[in-house]
Amino acid sequence: MTRPRRDPRAERAAARTAGAERPRYDLGAKASASRRPRRDPRTEAASQRVPGAARLRLDRSQFGVVPVLAAHAPERPAEKAPPKPVIVENPDFLVLVAPDMAGGRLGEHDRQLFGAARELAGKTGATFALVGAASPDLGPAGADRIAIAARDPDAYDPDGRAAEIVAAMRALDPRHVLFAESADGGDLARRVAVLTGEPLFADAEQVSASALGRPARCRKVEQRSAPTRLVTVAADCVASYAGAPREARLETVELSTDRTGAAGAIVSARLIPADPATVPLALADFVVSAGNGVTDLDLFARVVAALGATPGASRVLCDAGLMPRDRQVGASGTVLGATCYFALGIAGAPQHLQGVADCEHIVAVNTDLHAAMIARAGLGIIQDAQLVMPAILKELERERGDRP
Amino acid sequence: MTYAFAALAFLMAGLATAQALRRAALWRLGAAAPVDWVSGLAKLPKRYLVDVHHVVARDAYASRMHAIVAGGLLAATVLTAFAILPPLAGSHLYWGVVALAFAITLAGSLLVGARRYPKTPKRLSKGRFQRLPILLLAYAAGGTVAALSIALAGPGNAVLPIALLVAAAGGLGLAYEVKGGPMRHAVAGALHLIAHPRQQRFEQDKPDAALVPLDLDAPKLGAELPADFTWNRLLGFDACIQCGRCETACPAFAAGQPLNPKRLIQDLVASLAPDGPAYAGSPYPNARDVAGEAGPLFKVIGPDAKIHPDTLWSCTTCRACVEECPMMIEHVDAIVSLRRHQTLELGAPPQKSFETLANLREADEPGGRPLSARGDFAAGIELPVISKRGAADVLLWLGDGAYDLRYGRTLRALLKLFHEAGVDFATLGEEERDTGDLARRLGDEATYQALARANIETLRKYRFNRIVTSDPHALHALRNEYRAFGDDFEVVHHTAFLLELIDGGKLAPGKLDAGTVTYHDPCYLGRYNGETEAPRKLLDRIGLSRVEMARHGRRSMCCGGGGGAPVADVPGDARIPDIRMAQAAETGASVVAVACPTCTAMLEGVTGRSAEVRDVAELVLMAVEASRADEPRRAAA
Amino acid sequence: MKLVVLLSVGRHPVSGKPALPRTEAQAIRIAAELGASIGLHVGPDAFPAEAALGHGLDRAVHLACAGGPDPIGPLVARIATEAPDVVLAGRRGQGGEETGLAPYAVAARLGVPIVPDAVAIRPAGDGLVEVDQALPKGALRRLVVRTPLVVTVHPNAPAPLPYAFGKARRGSIERVDAAAADLAAVAPAPEERPYRKRPKMMRAAGGSAADRLKAVTGEATAGGAKILDGPTPEDAAKEVLAFLRRVGVLAPAGAGATGPTA
Repeated sequence: MTRPRRDPRAERAAARTAGAERPRYDLGAKASASRRPRRDPRTEAASQRVPGAARLRLDRSQFGVVPVLAAHAPERPAEKAPPKPVIVENPDFLVLVAPDMAGGRLGEHDRQLFGAARELAGKTGATFALVGAASPDLGPAGADRIAIAARDPDAYDPDGRAAEIVAAMRALDPRHVLFAESADGGDLARRVAVLTGEPLFADAEQVSASALGRPARCRKVEQRSAPTRLVTVAADCVASYAGAPREARLETVELSTDRTGAAGAIVSARLIPADPATVPLALADFVVSAGNGVTDLDLFARVVAALGATPGASRVLCDAGLMPRDRQVGASGTVLGATCYFALGIAGAPQHLQGVADCEHIVAVNTDLHAAMIARAGLGIIQDAQLVMPAILKELERERGDRP
Repeated sequence: MTYAFAALAFLMAGLATAQALRRAALWRLGAAAPVDWVSGLAKLPKRYLVDVHHVVARDAYASRMHAIVAGGLLAATVLTAFAILPPLAGSHLYWGVVALAFAITLAGSLLVGARRYPKTPKRLSKGRFQRLPILLLAYAAGGTVAALSIALAGPGNAVLPIALLVAAAGGLGLAYEVKGGPMRHAVAGALHLIAHPRQQRFEQDKPDAALVPLDLDAPKLGAELPADFTWNRLLGFDACIQCGRCETACPAFAAGQPLNPKRLIQDLVASLAPDGPAYAGSPYPNARDVAGEAGPLFKVIGPDAKIHPDTLWSCTTCRACVEECPMMIEHVDAIVSLRRHQTLELGAPPQKSFETLANLREADEPGGRPLSARGDFAAGIELPVISKRGAADVLLWLGDGAYDLRYGRTLRALLKLFHEAGVDFATLGEEERDTGDLARRLGDEATYQALARANIETLRKYRFNRIVTSDPHALHALRNEYRAFGDDFEVVHHTAFLLELIDGGKLAPGKLDAGTVTYHDPCYLGRYNGETEAPRKLLDRIGLSRVEMARHGRRSMCCGGGGGAPVADVPGDARIPDIRMAQAAETGASVVAVACPTCTAMLEGVTGRSAEVRDVAELVLMAVEASRADEPRRAAA
Repeated sequence: MKLVVLLSVGRHPVSGKPALPRTEAQAIRIAAELGASIGLHVGPDAFPAEAALGHGLDRAVHLACAGGPDPIGPLVARIATEAPDVVLAGRRGQGGEETGLAPYAVAARLGVPIVPDAVAIRPAGDGLVEVDQALPKGALRRLVVRTPLVVTVHPNAPAPLPYAFGKARRGSIERVDAAAADLAAVAPAPEERPYRKRPKMMRAAGGSAADRLKAVTGEATAGGAKILDGPTPEDAAKEVLAFLRRVGVLAPAGAGATGPTA
């Protein structure tokens, strides 16, 4: 017996933290009885982690440094002191970016577009954003240079916008021009492609400095090509830029356009926002759905309205005529493409679950812990939907009241 | 005066003939159809006495009533006609016999009256039908009194003229009704039995339910106008006596969908002859508004015509109405014919079926799923594919149910049983296309024929002895409907096949102790193919105590899943499967045994059901596994 | 109103069998309801013209040519002679390159404006049409545009009318050989290899880059389902609202009580 004998019970008792109702143990604080310092690969790796990289990157040169912060490794020092923006003073080439910036804000797709642009620009290139209005988000999103377009950002003038991009291309001679493969971005890209007569690499799903990839032939094949000049980037395929903020230096570009041809064909343009209450279920982004567990449908309607969601229903309610048939979610009703599905009092028949198979997030409130809907949910609440609904209304009410 | 009585009989016959000829002029507007009159006429008595009686006898009262009143009426009138022969006219005995015949008619008339008065059952039509017992009564009572008075007091008695007058009023009234009223059924019904469009249904034991292929090169596809039906189908519609047996059997009617087979046939009659008496039976439930002109050359279907499309698309093609019809009317043929025009010529199938039909056309599969994924359900159980072997004893046709998560369980059970019994079987793998049944019932005959031809071509490539399938819809298509495309496969339902395996000693199921079970007959197996016994025998073999629902066998009620009805999804008051499961619950059975993927899906979709839904194959597998679990125990003992 | 619908050979996305692209079938529905319309197809195969008749056109023109040349030249030449008010096209092809460039090229060569992603078209008086353009999540942009113009049709447009065998049989197809002068070779397709499905990036509600990274790597949800057994309704409501905000469908408490789309 060269090693001292361990007494697990005593060790546990020593590690017990005081004050908790239930017994809790801080096993990490256990003093090592061995003389050799014990290595903790996890904390080491955490201390080697390079902050801000999109992928997990470790700096192995930090090997052997005993970590000071063990428990709070993911804490980002960047939040304490804003890092200095990265400046590319004399870029070898430019990557022109035409973000959508709907409503003057950078959307998720726009950020991914900048992510793709930074990927193409690398260390020596610079991204150049041609935007309708400046935004403080542009630098962090990955814009090295920006220029403000002269036209009215709110007017619908796709031809004018395309002509401006062409003018910017003339003035800046960028190596790449990137558009979002969205309704407006995709349209703009095709207009520019036709105006310049250059090929368009549309709907790129893979973007790297060496190659682009896009689906074709009903997603049966992937077409690969070295990065071309005109590229549209698909949504949710390329990571946003996650490095240190860029400079976003404001520059002026000569954007004189010679509007000819079909200019002025658009007499008027009016935006008609979607009404979540009436939008077809298949198009809705956020669906709140009622099932057998919901008896007060007026209350349900108020919850749906308060959440700004689109109402749905299970087959049972539609069969009973309590909800119109076009609100039915499921294999025999509508198959949803929503981001989030909130099921109130729905047990989750297989046909119903088929209808929500594509939903990213599911919240379910049901009295039955073993309901299929609860099993499928990201947040499952075992409670009567009839009680939770008024509580949600009250909570939203309270929040509104709290607001200054 | 006795001659006047005889003359009445001739007058009645004459008037009835004249009225029938006026009606026949309408039938002649229909399309031509080959009819073998001689053979049909020769077979009429058998068809009437056996086939019609078989259906009529299901309602004992109606059967007795009809035998007495129809027999009496015919006998009395024919007998009276013989009074033109002087020796008979003077015979007291003869008049006594005539009086007896009229008395029998009188008794029958009273039975007819008693059915309608004081309260008419819901399924019977009113209107002119309410007059029928009165006319019968007048004719029979007048005839009885007249004949009796001649027999007792001679032709010169004072009662005779008054009695004759009453009899004439009743008798001529009846004869007049041959064109537009209730008595039309007698003439049209008899002619319909002779010239029936489906002669085979009288010639074979099993039902004749295969749809007739449509000539896709015909100038017009399907029926648009009443005149587009063949003349013997128009005749068939006219045979309807409005007894309402079809509406009590119709699942769509029960569920409050806007379909009533009786009303549908009467609407077709009224489309042909808009000046006829108004319909006085029960309406389409939740009837949709229609407004439009009717006539032999006006379109039948549309919100601006006589019949709303929702009515047409509510039908599940379950053939319950055909099964119940004492006049042998083929409702489903008429519906499919009308649907064909809607889909093929107008491109107007139900909104929700657009996608389904497009998938069937472009992907050979109603859900647009890859054909290679059909075998995915097997998940680890060996599923041989015939293209790798070229031949097999049994070709297993998987059908559309293979894509369904729930039904995959049934097919897995079937596969396990096949392996257990050492069956030499294979599937077509990704070469199996949809049979086209759904497309055909939705009226898309073009897609159906393309699928049928493609499937037959595939099947001809391989050697196998027979096809086994668990899908009665596929079974019906492969066995009965593909025959018109030049191939004749021996197709066996999985229940019949499993029974064969057990009887042949290949499978040794134990006894299950799983409470009572009730078996739900799939329409396409029971009514379409007459197979009701094999699944029941299987359930008995595995020791389950079996109870029957009130409606079972060939008179079973549909689950609501056939004929494209779920795709059409016409709203009603209730759902058909809910009604069926409630009927199953009435038996107290803890398990509802099914034998069809569609029935499984429909009945399992019922919320709050008290009984479990299990395919017969699943129950057999449970029994086989139970016996295997028992074996070591028995060996130890 | 006179309309031309551009037709192409598509493939069913699953079976790979020839099929008219869905948006073109939708375009036919829109066109057939507006007025006299013809279908126009360039290529070796008459299939799209035949399919277009089945979907509701009375007349289709098949500009026949061998191989798979660039269709723009013959299309433009024929459209110029037809002089339609509106040229309708699908948003993208289906089964080919699927770049969606052809309608833009046609519009540019014709020198007429192009309006993309239409879900409805209505006449709006002398030489004008009103076009409803689909925007994400069910929003619309209502444009009044001068004719002639090219319009591409969005998948959210009314579902196509079903293919009717009888209509396809009744309609007429005019087959003309495409003038060789109009034909041009297409640029060679880039290198192709079988498509590989990659995980879709999860959407996150703004936040920092690290939050988005978490969303991408699934850390936010990989923790799996959270089940609360019998919380008070108030706690349940708080949890639900917090969850909805985390996934970005409900605006933060400070930003207003209703969702971002309201």
